[in-house]
Amino acid sequence: MLIELKNITKKFDKQTAVKDLNMKIEKGSITMFIGPSGCGKTTTLKMINRLIEPTSGDILIHGKSVVDMEAVKLRRSIGYVIQEIGLFPHFSVYENIAVVPRLLNWEEKRIKERVDELLHLVTLDPSYAQKYPMQLSGGEQQRVGLARALAADPEILLMDEPFGAIDPINRLKLHDSFLEIQEEIKKTIIFVTHDINEAIKLGDKIAIMNKGTLVQYDETDEILHNPKNEFVENLLGRDRSLKALSLEKTKGFVTHEGYVITGPNDDQGSLREKMKKTRSEQAFILDENGRLLGRKILVTKKTGKQEMIQDSNPVVVDRNNNLVEALSKMLESGEHQLPVVSGRGKFMGVINLSHIFAEVTAAEAKNTIKGA
Amino acid sequence: MGFWEFLQAYQDKIILEFFRHIKIILFSLPFAVLLSVPLGFCISSRPKMAKIVIYLSSVLMTIPSLALFAIMVVLLAPMKLGLGMTPAILAITLYSLLPITRNTYIALNQVSPKTIEAARGLGLSSSQILWKIKIPLSIPVIMAGIRNALVLGVSVATFASLVGAGGLGYFIFSGISRANLKMVAIGAVIVSGLGIGVNYLMLLLEDVLTPMGLKNKS
Repeated sequence: MLIELKNITKKFDKQTAVKDLNMKIEKGSITMFIGPSGCGKTTTLKMINRLIEPTSGDILIHGKSVVDMEAVKLRRSIGYVIQEIGLFPHFSVYENIAVVPRLLNWEEKRIKERVDELLHLVTLDPSYAQKYPMQLSGGEQQRVGLARALAADPEILLMDEPFGAIDPINRLKLHDSFLEIQEEIKKTIIFVTHDINEAIKLGDKIAIMNKGTLVQYDETDEILHNPKNEFVENLLGRDRSLKALSLEKTKGFVTHEGYVITGPNDDQGSLREKMKKTRSEQAFILDENGRLLGRKILVTKKTGKQEMIQDSNPVVVDRNNNLVEALSKMLESGEHQLPVVSGRGKFMGVINLSHIFAEVTAAEAKNTIKGA
Repeated sequence: MGFWEFLQAYQDKIILEFFRHIKIILFSLPFAVLLSVPLGFCISSRPKMAKIVIYLSSVLMTIPSLALFAIMVVLLAPMKLGLGMTPAILAITLYSLLPITRNTYIALNQVSPKTIEAARGLGLSSSQILWKIKIPLSIPVIMAGIRNALVLGVSVATFASLVGAGGLGYFIFSGISRANLKMVAIGAVIVSGLGIGVNYLMLLLEDVLTPMGLKNKS
């Protein structure tokens, strides 16, 4: 157990923000805190790095009480991300990321290497190092904020509604790359949000709070299938079975059948043969690095003649997209089979509509059994 | 006597009074800055005190310049400092109090609380937050306050000639008492030019001192 909250209570004047909270947070997982405003989720988060001191109770990291640590040192060992405005406007991207390493007196050479590494991790071009926050979009600023929090390689990352100020389309993109990054870094992340879809999409576990108390704290899957009370049910909304679908990532449903792979300069005739043989409707064109360039579709005309059409801008599903997002892309494009790519554009395989339906049926069955 | 001849005849006097004028302002500036900037810092986290300080310095500013010089003369007379540079410097320093203190106060309070929170969360100590975050982010606004005070000082310093400190006010006031319009005009034009020049130089300095990321260039 990495973080342990023991009987934490926080009172502001006479108001109780957090009441007798007990929680254990596991290493390497994403824990989402959600609840209505004023439920104590942000207060709880800020007590972990002692931006707020608890009135009573104790917080342990690796079994050691945070109260015994020097607050400034404690904070340097924990990553902290808030909404986009938290970047220092008078520092370049490089200087922003270098803040904590410099506080820790790293050598400049080591800092430079680390900044390069982090920019690569958050998929920003190295040329961004010399830019200033004002010159970046909201999403780019958020990536820099994440890189800054990760600079000294902290074990724990605290995130306070980091994507709150970003428009919905870019937020979805950031979610995907956030999950991709977490797959690489495997940090213990505590994430405060007010968006239930965000909580379900990103969280390994969800902690639902209301009026300063913990209502339910469980694996995301468990919360969706077994909400503890009406409050949780209302928070989840009516489309629970659809939301349950969003728990499953596309990458778990990738298949490698029913399509053909080809290079950009391959022969048309043999490709057609191959597609007929495997009964494939589409062929995906990949470059030498396995990146998806486009696709070719075999279309049967009214005359019965088959024709090959090239589509250089096909609809793709990110492998970290959940099944709801994949389904929505299928409905929009009218396709029952879509290519799946990694965050860096590498082709992974395809996802089929029939597989998504199978999952819905399975989830329904699970709900019925549990409800009965 | 034509205008140019007049200029030539008074050339030496003009240069002398011009530099005296600048001297008065340059002597007042350090006092004004050393008094107002720390005062602004001091009240930045004390809203009640800030209200009082800003109110009092606004009151100071509403005293007409001429009257303020007169008060200085009266107050300083017992110490035998009633005439010359001392009352002039004191008066200009008092006038600078409001623009610099107020701007320092505003500058420090306009730093986004989210920026400060992020700095705290990353593990910067209070003094690091002050020196690395608050002060650099405040410099443009503080500098604008100093610029306002200086430009104001240029015009207020014209009264210095009335208390025996000299300066370009000499031409204006002597010109009026001798009904010599050329003299008045010369004094007025040079004071205006000096004001505009000081403003421009301070804008340049502001630009140099403003951190890169805060400039509106992409």
